[in-house]
Amino acid sequence: MAATHERPSAREIFITLEYGPVPESHACALAWLDTQDRHLGHYVNGKWLKPEHRNSVPCQDPITGESLATCLQAQAEDVAAAVEAAGTAFENWSGLPGASRAQHLLRLAKMIQKHQRLLWTLESLVSGRAIREVRDGDVPLAQQLLQYHAVQAYTQEEELAGWEPMGVIGLILSPMFSFLEMMWRICPALAVGCTVVVLVPPASPTPLLLAQLAGELGSFPGILNVISGPASLGPVLASHPRVQKEGRALRRTLAGKGAELGLALGAESLLVLTEAADVDSAVEGIVDAAWSDRSAGGLRLLIQESVWDETMRRLQERMARLRGGRGLDGAVDMGTRGAAARDLAQHYAHEARSQGAQVFQAGDSPFFPPTLVSDLPPASPCAQAEVPWPVVVASSFRTAKEALAIANGTPRGASASVWSERLGQALELGYGLQVGTVWINAHGLRNTEVPTGGCKESGSSWHGGADGLYEYLRPSGTPARLSYFSENLNYDTFGLAVPSTLPAGPEIGPSPATPYGLFIGGRFQAPGARSSRPIKDSQGNLHGYVAEGGAKDIRGAVEAAHQAVSGWVGQSPGARATLLWALATALERRESALASRLERHGMELKDAKVEVELSTRQLRAWGARAQAQGHVLQVAELKGPVLRLREPLGVLAVVCPDEWPLLAFVSLLAAALAHGNTVVMVPSGACPIPALEVCQDMAALLPAGLVNVVTGDRDHLTRCLALHQDVQALWYFGSAQGSQFVEWASAGNLKPVWVNRGCPRAWDQEAKGAGAELGLRAARTKALWLPMGD
Amino acid sequence: MSARNRGTELDLSWISKIQVNQPAVLRRAEQIQARRTVKKEWQAAWLLKAVTFIDLTTLSGDDTSSSIQRLCYKAKYPIREDLLKSLNMHDKVATGFPSGQTHLKTRLEEIRLAVEDGATEIDVVINRTLVLTGQWEALYDEIRQFRKACGEAHLKTILATGELGSLTNVYKASMIAMMAGSDFIKTSTGKETVNATFPVAIVMLRAIRDFFWKTGNKVGFKPAGGIRSAKDSLAWLSLVKEELGDEWLTPELFRIGASTLLSDIERQIYHHVTGRYAAYHDLPMS
Repeated sequence: MAATHERPSAREIFITLEYGPVPESHACALAWLDTQDRHLGHYVNGKWLKPEHRNSVPCQDPITGESLATCLQAQAEDVAAAVEAAGTAFENWSGLPGASRAQHLLRLAKMIQKHQRLLWTLESLVSGRAIREVRDGDVPLAQQLLQYHAVQAYTQEEELAGWEPMGVIGLILSPMFSFLEMMWRICPALAVGCTVVVLVPPASPTPLLLAQLAGELGSFPGILNVISGPASLGPVLASHPRVQKEGRALRRTLAGKGAELGLALGAESLLVLTEAADVDSAVEGIVDAAWSDRSAGGLRLLIQESVWDETMRRLQERMARLRGGRGLDGAVDMGTRGAAARDLAQHYAHEARSQGAQVFQAGDSPFFPPTLVSDLPPASPCAQAEVPWPVVVASSFRTAKEALAIANGTPRGASASVWSERLGQALELGYGLQVGTVWINAHGLRNTEVPTGGCKESGSSWHGGADGLYEYLRPSGTPARLSYFSENLNYDTFGLAVPSTLPAGPEIGPSPATPYGLFIGGRFQAPGARSSRPIKDSQGNLHGYVAEGGAKDIRGAVEAAHQAVSGWVGQSPGARATLLWALATALERRESALASRLERHGMELKDAKVEVELSTRQLRAWGARAQAQGHVLQVAELKGPVLRLREPLGVLAVVCPDEWPLLAFVSLLAAALAHGNTVVMVPSGACPIPALEVCQDMAALLPAGLVNVVTGDRDHLTRCLALHQDVQALWYFGSAQGSQFVEWASAGNLKPVWVNRGCPRAWDQEAKGAGAELGLRAARTKALWLPMGD
Repeated sequence: MSARNRGTELDLSWISKIQVNQPAVLRRAEQIQARRTVKKEWQAAWLLKAVTFIDLTTLSGDDTSSSIQRLCYKAKYPIREDLLKSLNMHDKVATGFPSGQTHLKTRLEEIRLAVEDGATEIDVVINRTLVLTGQWEALYDEIRQFRKACGEAHLKTILATGELGSLTNVYKASMIAMMAGSDFIKTSTGKETVNATFPVAIVMLRAIRDFFWKTGNKVGFKPAGGIRSAKDSLAWLSLVKEELGDEWLTPELFRIGASTLLSDIERQIYHHVTGRYAAYHDLPMS
């Protein structure tokens, strides 16, 4: 690289016209490290915390390996101290009026503005990312995030009435994420009144600096605490009784303590280049996505076969012009991220080559060059693995349909861009891709107002926009998350066996007879096990038998639900509403039968009638809401709209609570259907018969497979559903043990779960039963960016 | 002068599928200015290089022999000698000679007369109506005739990009102009309201590269108008370097049409050499 040569004279440069080094002074970053004697501790409760007898790790310059400072490694006590501080601060902070919190966030934004140079040089020095990206991208965005969320805090009492802050938020930052990723999460948390403990990977001083800046504002020292330590401390932080929410999907560790979880919450992105694209601009999009230090991960590139050669030629030509080098150089595209990132990339490139791929490298980089992998056999391990920075893996497709199949065929789903000048095609692809963010003819745009998140194994948490706020809120009055962890729960045997049932005495027949069978694929079927379970009424008399569902029945129900997905998603919201309203009418006709069923379970007839009436109201309310989904965002820098879409999750499994056997069943069903999901439901264990009564109407009204109801042993059915990889989300209302099992087991495909942790819920109260929470959980958000211009 | 572009047969398939995405090109234009800077010696050398690309032109109606004479002197000695000496560059830098008072809206006869008068470079403006109405064959024929009339003189085709309606049209017009045998394509006359802008340049440069890939002919590029500061000129150099490569960074293939740019560059070089900012009277006027 030019910087290492002897300095050429102006005369020589005049001939060669080469680029020279444009070094940015990092003196202020070093001076800041000096104020800590090059020895960084943790920043807790507005003070530096430097406990004795801790290991420390060096923080190195990613190019020279020179040690810049040492960082202390936290231990469990330090985590406890930080959580304690955050807990104490929470009492004050959450009690403040929103306007005061807004004021404080704005002061922090100002503070960042005053020290921005220190912030960007330190970040670029340590992370090795190109300074341009930190200076022009990250730091201004960090300020905007604070400003945006200050506004949200200001309007919180009005806009978010009925919600309250969760409490202390534990955030575990992975090594590949920058301080900006931290800001995306702490800003909404602080805005709504939560306080935060961030566990940063060792040797990342920028979050510590941010915490110091926040601490030096004086007033609320404990709201942001940063400790540095190994990822193994994550579970310690997350399972602390005061921590209400964890930032990363440590689900299995959290539920299961100690079990491994491969965190696939990656930064890999996807780019689909069609033949109708402006290829040169798309090539720039690839540079943005993979080789400009904007993103943390690699890129999967899908190119339409007809433009494959042309794209490859342009891409390789472009790669040769990329400049890599020291992050603090003002004229490089790509900085240098240290040995760990290089080893990862090297390993991937090596593996890909040995699996038969072509590996093309170009560009001027002292560390690891931009890398393009093509012709990777589809079944090779590399084709399935996550692509690391700075690697691009290119493969071809023939039609848009095929592109969708390939793109959706990975377990990851964070972000993607579609390059096509044909509006219809671009929208078809944009809507069809199962990812959190889609950019049309652009890549990597971000804005504080646009929610960003992922689906599938990229995790289901959101940040930015209104969706980001709800991550740190819970409906008012919901009990705080208490530890319900039970050491005794055996994951291997939970719900494994079904107790056998025998005839249970005389059947005091109700009239008409109870519907019998599992409601699967639109009709009642005999259960696979060919056995039944007795249902007793409140006096202990036999009320009737219901079918005993098992693993095979769950499999059948999930299949039936999958077959119904495309038809139901394709229905307009209006059509969905019509069906829900029709079901409500049918329920009204059946009112007396339903009420008498409920009455037999020990309810007053009056209350039973109220429950039926509330149920019909739920169906109508959700039917009405089906038509008000998603909206358009207008974003400052972007000419054109960003569509915030609410997309169905797919097949949603619901294990209904024992309380309110009809109302809970109908509320959950209505919310799920209104958002376009198809469902597999396990009704109340004690009183499943009203739900089966409703099935009789659904058999007549709804498309087959849309709703499937499986009765039987709840633990067993829960086990089958939680371990099913092709169920996209699971709601569980039951015992604490069941909740723990569901959280543990669902880690298999990281499906979003919603569990009640053994706490009953007041379904008759409008605010909760029909409230926004159900709606939030019944669909996922997608942001679709549509830049315009000609 | 470099080899002539002989042009090719009209092949509409080269332009029929082209789509230029305007927002994406705008983003690229912003990036190129943020990602490439040069400092110190590099800046001085680049600025001097920029000087060699400048076409000092005048299109004013009130030009007299004295103003033209001053311009010619400035073209020959663009930077104060003592500044060049201290950079050890005093034997190298001279700007392009002015290509003569350009005939706007020339018709063929005017071109022939100009060539007879000894003009070596002829600027013509394309007929924008033909572009806006998509009459690409007619546009090709028209430029082809200009090309014939030029004889051995070089043909610079001005696309008047501010009036073409879209970047896609800019690409198509560039391609047609090159197929018809233009040796240079030029953004604008320098007198329009919309002058040379980065997005337009990116599209034209990409067209030049595509034409080179298809035919092996290198066509030159000339932005004109609106380039006033030394900093701008550096961005233009890196734009050409990034999109086309170093081979295009010669006066045969890249010119900058500007009148006030030179004095700003001279001031920057003064600052580089002396460490002070120049007063207006420190440097000769043009």
